[in-house]
Amino acid sequence: MELPNLIPYPEPIPAPPEIFIILEQTFFLIHILLINSILGLSIILSYKWAKEKEFFENNRPLAKKIPLFFALGINMAIPALLFIQVVYGNLFYTSSILIGTFWILIIPLLILAYYSSYFHYRKFGLSSYAKHALLFMMLIVLYIAFILVNNLSIMEMPQTWNAYFSNREGTIILWNLNSIYPRYLHFIIASIAIGGLVYSFYFRNKVDRDNKVREGLKIFAYATMIQIAVGIWFLLSLPKGVMIKFMGENTIATIILLSGIATAFISIVVSLKGKLKESLIFLSLTLISMIINRYHLRVFNLGENFSLSHLKVSPQWDVFALFLFVLLTGIVIIIYMLKIAFQSKMR
Amino acid sequence: MNYPIWELYYLNSGTLVAMISILHVFISHFAVGGGIYLWLTDLKSVRQNDLALRQYVRRHLWFFLLLTMVLGGVSGVGIWFIIGLSNPWATSILIHTFVFAWAIEWVFFLVEIVSLLIYHYKFETLTDKNRLIIAFIYAASAWLSLFIINGIITFMLTPGDWLSTGKFWDGFFNPSHLPSLLFRTAVCIMFAGLFGFVTAVYEKDEKLKNTLLKYCNKWLYSALPFLLFSGIWYFFSIPENTRFTNFILNKQTSQPLSIFIITSILIYLFGLIFILRTKKIFQRFIVFLFLLLGLFWIGGFEYMREYARKPYIIHGYMYSTSILVAHEESLNREGILKKARWTEVREITEENKIEAGKELFNLQCLSCHTIKGIKNDIVEKTKGLTYLGIYSQIYGQGKILDYMPKFVGNEKEMDALAAFIASLHDKREEILAEFKPKEEEIKIPNFNPKEDEYILLAWSILGEKCITDADRWFSFLYPGSTFQAILIKRGKKPEIMSEGIEIHYEVQKGYENPSKHVDFWKFVESLKGKTLPKDIGISGKGLKGIFDYDSNKKIFTAEGIPVLPYRDDGVFNPYPLFEVKAIEKNTGKVLQSTKFVAAVSTELRCFLCHGGKPRWNGISGISDETAINILKIHDRNHGTKLLESALKGKPMMCQKCHEDFIVKSEGIKGHNSFSASMHGWHANYIPWKDEKSCNLCHPNDSMGNTRCNRDIHAKLGIGCTQCHGRLDDHAAGVLLSQKETRTAHLLLKNLKTELPLHDINPRKPWIQQPDCLNCHRGFQQPQKNSKAFNNWTRDLSGLYRARKDNSSKIPCIACHSSPHAIYPAFNDFGSNRDNIQPLQYQRMPLALSSEMKCEVCHKIKMEGSFHHANIYRKFRNIHLISK
Repeated sequence: MELPNLIPYPEPIPAPPEIFIILEQTFFLIHILLINSILGLSIILSYKWAKEKEFFENNRPLAKKIPLFFALGINMAIPALLFIQVVYGNLFYTSSILIGTFWILIIPLLILAYYSSYFHYRKFGLSSYAKHALLFMMLIVLYIAFILVNNLSIMEMPQTWNAYFSNREGTIILWNLNSIYPRYLHFIIASIAIGGLVYSFYFRNKVDRDNKVREGLKIFAYATMIQIAVGIWFLLSLPKGVMIKFMGENTIATIILLSGIATAFISIVVSLKGKLKESLIFLSLTLISMIINRYHLRVFNLGENFSLSHLKVSPQWDVFALFLFVLLTGIVIIIYMLKIAFQSKMR
Repeated sequence: MNYPIWELYYLNSGTLVAMISILHVFISHFAVGGGIYLWLTDLKSVRQNDLALRQYVRRHLWFFLLLTMVLGGVSGVGIWFIIGLSNPWATSILIHTFVFAWAIEWVFFLVEIVSLLIYHYKFETLTDKNRLIIAFIYAASAWLSLFIINGIITFMLTPGDWLSTGKFWDGFFNPSHLPSLLFRTAVCIMFAGLFGFVTAVYEKDEKLKNTLLKYCNKWLYSALPFLLFSGIWYFFSIPENTRFTNFILNKQTSQPLSIFIITSILIYLFGLIFILRTKKIFQRFIVFLFLLLGLFWIGGFEYMREYARKPYIIHGYMYSTSILVAHEESLNREGILKKARWTEVREITEENKIEAGKELFNLQCLSCHTIKGIKNDIVEKTKGLTYLGIYSQIYGQGKILDYMPKFVGNEKEMDALAAFIASLHDKREEILAEFKPKEEEIKIPNFNPKEDEYILLAWSILGEKCITDADRWFSFLYPGSTFQAILIKRGKKPEIMSEGIEIHYEVQKGYENPSKHVDFWKFVESLKGKTLPKDIGISGKGLKGIFDYDSNKKIFTAEGIPVLPYRDDGVFNPYPLFEVKAIEKNTGKVLQSTKFVAAVSTELRCFLCHGGKPRWNGISGISDETAINILKIHDRNHGTKLLESALKGKPMMCQKCHEDFIVKSEGIKGHNSFSASMHGWHANYIPWKDEKSCNLCHPNDSMGNTRCNRDIHAKLGIGCTQCHGRLDDHAAGVLLSQKETRTAHLLLKNLKTELPLHDINPRKPWIQQPDCLNCHRGFQQPQKNSKAFNNWTRDLSGLYRARKDNSSKIPCIACHSSPHAIYPAFNDFGSNRDNIQPLQYQRMPLALSSEMKCEVCHKIKMEGSFHHANIYRKFRNIHLISK
């Protein structure tokens, strides 16, 4: 089957695509940070799991955070998924169908994971099953991440779509794609790093702060070191044509990648020195770079199979304006509610 | 056709959509109503300073959070996931048209989550005022979420002006938006009460529990008037034709409708049980039953709403098969496989036909049908249909029962899809062999032109009497032929005899025991409401008897002779002979005797589409299997219980409901006549329109066992359609005669008539027929290309079989023979079998007195065309009989 024949017609989009791309990447970043936090904290908690009362007392608030992160993480996935479907809808629906069975299994598994996180929190220190629940939840998160990585890789590589004609049951996994493994590992290691940072961030104002903050920062630093190696593996695993774009052929992509690596290095250095605030700043810079890299990778992978200029724009500025208004109002209300909640804490 | 198809044959994506959606809406309506409930109940606790009530709110909140945020929230995302897999193109349209609405909805969802988490986690530390503000924010944002989603869901059912303007606001504020919003808001309030019971029954303080149960009942019952009002408004906001299609034609809707009605009643009755003082354990049991009822209730409603949109996914814009309405015509012309993106087969060949059919199944069926799966199994649905039946089903799909989309594609694709579906059945079809009629010698009775004083003419008024021999199951044509006869006293001025004579008839040997071959006499009481001795017809006559004299028509008549084409020796011959004798009453002297064919056939080849095989010796008739299949399909499509009745030994005449002149039945008012129903219905399904289509049901296939159109017209190449019209035109004629029925309009709307519909003259079946003189104007040779169709005889008196010559004494049929057997006839069961009387009296197979043989009756040559114009001439087509 010839590839161009397979790519479905795109629908007209209601605003210039750049708007949706920025929105998608922004919300994806928030989403992935929350998911990284869930997985990272869970890995740290299960690694440090001890039977001492003290462990449970110290870490109960962290256990409590996991379901909260779940609620927000799922919520933040929505705009990311929504906006990706606007610009890349024709590609995304296709890839989702190709992996459909595994894709839809995310839903019941996510429900189980979410409930497990609540179980873990409620039974933290009370039942030995709490740890099992946590591990179970982690496994599900790992499953979901693996499927998402596959889905997006399939989406970005229409050249893999011919697999449909030998497997139409929605169980296509790109086992043979070299970049799948480092890409997935990149997520896991990022989770450990972010988990470490959240850990140290949480304990920044607590008793015994130094130890805990340092411990978290150390986790972050070592994980980031590994992450740089994984990142390089990821880069080298890419198809040659794509890889060399990040290695000088595309100046902007190369600069952004290098600056991301540089800020990552700096964040390792500052975190090893126990500087939480600086670590956060350099991590943020790294993340911005990485999210742009991620976008570049998509553009390079898609190559001639997709061009933003092919999208017909029939603007709905009035509705867009309404969305912005509602979003701002929503943010104001959220800030107001957090203020009330914060006040109550003070009270 | 734009996207790949997720090939799930057992549990198709459509079923998954239903499962996830019902679960979600059950919880999400609670998420909205429950939010209002929490806020107002909390407010009540503050106003009344009721700490116990607040503790209840606290507990209810935890239950609420666990249920709505986890199961409700994730299942909502689940719907989005599954519709993207099941119907990606439609999902894409919804996303692209309403992306900012979805985004706004997400903001509300975010506010919901944050407020709910604060409400829960800070319940104890917040001040009353702040806590109530948070609760209110939750309730408001949850309802606003509903407001947004409601706009998009109702858009799919009633896109309104969006179809022409494409504008966001036209789509969002569509005709059913407001009624649906009110209805769903009422559902939310109802569910707030319903779920309130769940936590209330677990309240330990008995007094508080009872107060709460009453309180929840208030919520439940306060929603009721709004539900009723907005429900009715909502229903009537759907376009009328859509309501008719999906709430009357689509029998599938009756199931969710019944569930909806029954559970509505039960929910409101069950609510009252909680007011009664019952045991704790009983209450806890009832409450879960209550939840289950709620789930079924909302499931029933959502199923109805989904059905109401059929055959579209976006009403008037995209079919549920993901085919745009705008593309339908070009796809029919060019074929869908050429245009579909994700198919391996582009060109259909004999070798890849099944594979192509599978691709087509994926494209057009799989979203609703499974293959041997849990819902709408295509194998089950097409059980009882042959390949041709399936093909016809596909051809006619969506035309009458238009809740299903029409098949989109060309004929080859239709064939491939039918072949694929047929291949899913375990049973292989037998190829029908050509029937070889056995030519039987007949002895032409004697006639001495010089000495014989009488001419006896006898005939069957129908050229082919048809019989449904599935009496155990149903009947629409029972045994009972009508014969007529006249006795002419020869002379210069011949005389038609009526006094002092008797005309006797007797069937050919072997045909005397019809009751051995059919079950009519076993079921006649159920079918006709009377009992009959075996082998006696409905008018009391048997296979041997005496004609009655009809003084009005001035003709001898024998009605209801139960002759069949089945012979005791196992031979099938649809042309049994009757011997007729005119006897002088006083003397017993036989004045004249002759023979005639009483053509009768059971060759209604329902089995070609409805499965089974010929009942009688594998030759002809309707087998049990075929009949059961027919009843099942009728029951399914029309909500009847004909099979059940037949199984109880009470088969029915089809004409009990469908008026039919020929069996003297008035039917039920509002139902189409039998002929209109049969022709109208089948014309929508049968893919051919020429004689091939007539021959599927009427006994005239050139390889069949009857070949009834056997006269001079057939020999000259004049087939059914020249007089009766092509199938759709023929059907249109009878349908137009009953415009007052709603279904006639439905049957008419998709017919592809050759003549414009407004040019087709209504025709009352059996009472009006094409007039011979349409072609034979002034009894002359017809013009080339003349057609008899669409110019009907005025009434019964104008029918060929009722008309007489200029003297008003001799029926046309007496000299020319029965319709479709007009002399000279060419019968494959014996070349002269249908020509006995002309051969007897004038030694040639032509109409009586042809070739100016006036002496047959007049004894002498006469001059001029007395009986009708142009009679006095040579036979034009003599070459046909000299061969």
